[in-house]
Amino acid sequence: MKRKFIAMACCAALIGTALTGCGGNTTPTTASTEASSAASTPASASASGNVKIALITMDQIDQHWVTMNEGAQAEAAVKGVKCDFISPDTKDDSKQIECVNNAVSNGYKAIMVAANGPDAISSALKDAQAAGIKIIYVDSPANVKAEATFSTDNVSAGKQAGEEMLKALKAKNVTKGNIGIVNVNAATQSTVNREKGFRSAFTSSNFKLLDTQYCDGDASKAQSIAENYITQGVVGIFGANEGAATGTGNAIKAAKGSKVIGVGFDKSDTIKGLIKDGYLLCTMAQNPDIMGAKGVDACVDAINGKDLGGAVTDTGVTILNKDNVASAK
Amino acid sequence: MIKKQNELKKFWKIRGMGAALTAFIGLIVIYIAFGLINPMVFSGQNILNLLRSMSKYLLIGVAQSCVMITGNIDLSLGSLVGMSAMIVATLMVSGVPVIAAIFITLLCGIAIGILNGLLVGKFKLPPFIATLGTMFVARGIAYMVNNNRNTDNIGIKLGKGSADAFQQFFYYGKTAGIYNTFWISLILFIAFFFLLSKTRTGRHIYAIGSNVEASKLSGVDVVRTTIKTYIFSSVCAVIVGFILCAQAGMGNMEAGNMYEMYGVAAGVIGGVSPLGGSGLLLGTFAGAAVWQTLENGLNMIGAQVGIQRIVIGIIVVLAVLMDVVIRSGKKIKIANKSTK
Repeated sequence: MKRKFIAMACCAALIGTALTGCGGNTTPTTASTEASSAASTPASASASGNVKIALITMDQIDQHWVTMNEGAQAEAAVKGVKCDFISPDTKDDSKQIECVNNAVSNGYKAIMVAANGPDAISSALKDAQAAGIKIIYVDSPANVKAEATFSTDNVSAGKQAGEEMLKALKAKNVTKGNIGIVNVNAATQSTVNREKGFRSAFTSSNFKLLDTQYCDGDASKAQSIAENYITQGVVGIFGANEGAATGTGNAIKAAKGSKVIGVGFDKSDTIKGLIKDGYLLCTMAQNPDIMGAKGVDACVDAINGKDLGGAVTDTGVTILNKDNVASAK
Repeated sequence: MIKKQNELKKFWKIRGMGAALTAFIGLIVIYIAFGLINPMVFSGQNILNLLRSMSKYLLIGVAQSCVMITGNIDLSLGSLVGMSAMIVATLMVSGVPVIAAIFITLLCGIAIGILNGLLVGKFKLPPFIATLGTMFVARGIAYMVNNNRNTDNIGIKLGKGSADAFQQFFYYGKTAGIYNTFWISLILFIAFFFLLSKTRTGRHIYAIGSNVEASKLSGVDVVRTTIKTYIFSSVCAVIVGFILCAQAGMGNMEAGNMYEMYGVAAGVIGGVSPLGGSGLLLGTFAGAAVWQTLENGLNMIGAQVGIQRIVIGIIVVLAVLMDVVIRSGKKIKIANKSTK
């Protein structure tokens, strides 16, 4: 008898937590939908004709995606539509596909997607299109034809990084020497393109670009690579993503009094600090907020029947250096 | 009337039945709660999605439950999922026919299962350590299969027909209105359910979980049963690998990350004791469904991922707490009886 009572008590407790757990969830949901002036429950209609857009990025943690969501939410509020950020918790193909499937059954009219990889999500996106949902790519497209794409042109951004470094070297009267490149890996298209652009900036100069070293995006690996470059006596190092840039900056910082010019890509609080303290010359900050905002605009246009023709728009990069880093968000 | 009551009592007394039923009740409550917040949760398409996406947790849950019932654990399951997704995809990309690729991958998975079984059963390594080792080995193989890259689209050499057939069979196709993925996992679930409850191997699995020494004395081949159990769990993991490969249409090196723990959660929520010897696969079914309903529901109502983790964590701990309380309650009862 006693046992049964205990079991029942536990059962009640389990159900209780399940309920309070769910109840607790309504708070953040309401908070995030406040911007779009929607009613407190997601199910009820928003102010303008019940238009719902889903934003599915690679994960919800990375600052890049959080900033993209902020841009999207602000624009959604202006347009009077509802935009839900329903990304997976970690970068996982399977979970991202589930998110797309959920968006289809949840009645979204359009989905903004940053695809984990070009292939994996394709079948799910085709299913969504078959259900009449408009697809807009933000940051990273997949292999399915969408209404429009808003991303960084990595080749041109990489070239700008190279030009910045060249300018700084010239200002210090350095006209020749070796330059090192820390990249993520040989398979990630975006960072490979950045490197391609970076190298193209030096074609008519006397600088020699060394073989690329790969850090898998790991800042501590990147730092060892950059330290080796500094030991070899390079005049400049390019870190092609957040981890690579952080490692490069930290290596230059560790080599006290080093005159090596470091240029990074992407931004983080650490990178901004390294620029402020003069260890990195500058970083190429992408504009995920613009991707999010333009993505929402394109979704609304597509839902209203406008043909966007699959146009690819470069959302550009902002060069963050010592002069403007303090004012950057 | 009395007879009916006795039958009910008997049903309730099956070890693990209480926990399994509680999990089912919890499932219904959670589902309705989400549905009240967002009615789209009740939509037909969402139910279909739910059944399909819970399938992988069901299979991993069944795999982990079988191992947990023997009092062991299999940490290599998630890596095995990734390894088999990579092997089957790489084989198909290089032009091996689908059936052959599936067969070869199954053999690779079974090999890991036998290795786990030998390490734990024969060489008496603590299962946590032995399968931690094979977890790294299997993930390493997943990386090496295609030289540290995710594979290309599986249809690149086989042609669209075969690749589509593979994707349809394991993920995108439907039979009788429900996605094939669910049917596959349901059939395997029923097979394992009968294996555990009606066969001698099943009784041996429970026996070595409750008391290794006693079962050894009564003639149970502990080594063999342990190896068999790890083979069962590996086969389930390989099938999940196929499902993930079909879902993405390619092999992903990171596929199945953390799945071994999802399996533990599904089993434990459903009342499978991590201490071994008790638990019903019926409970695991409910556990996997609870897990997926939470993931799906929290996603559908737009909750943040942090909250999802916290809710799931609390439910797992409470489920185990219940197991501990019931067990200690039983002990007190037995002690009371003996003093009388």
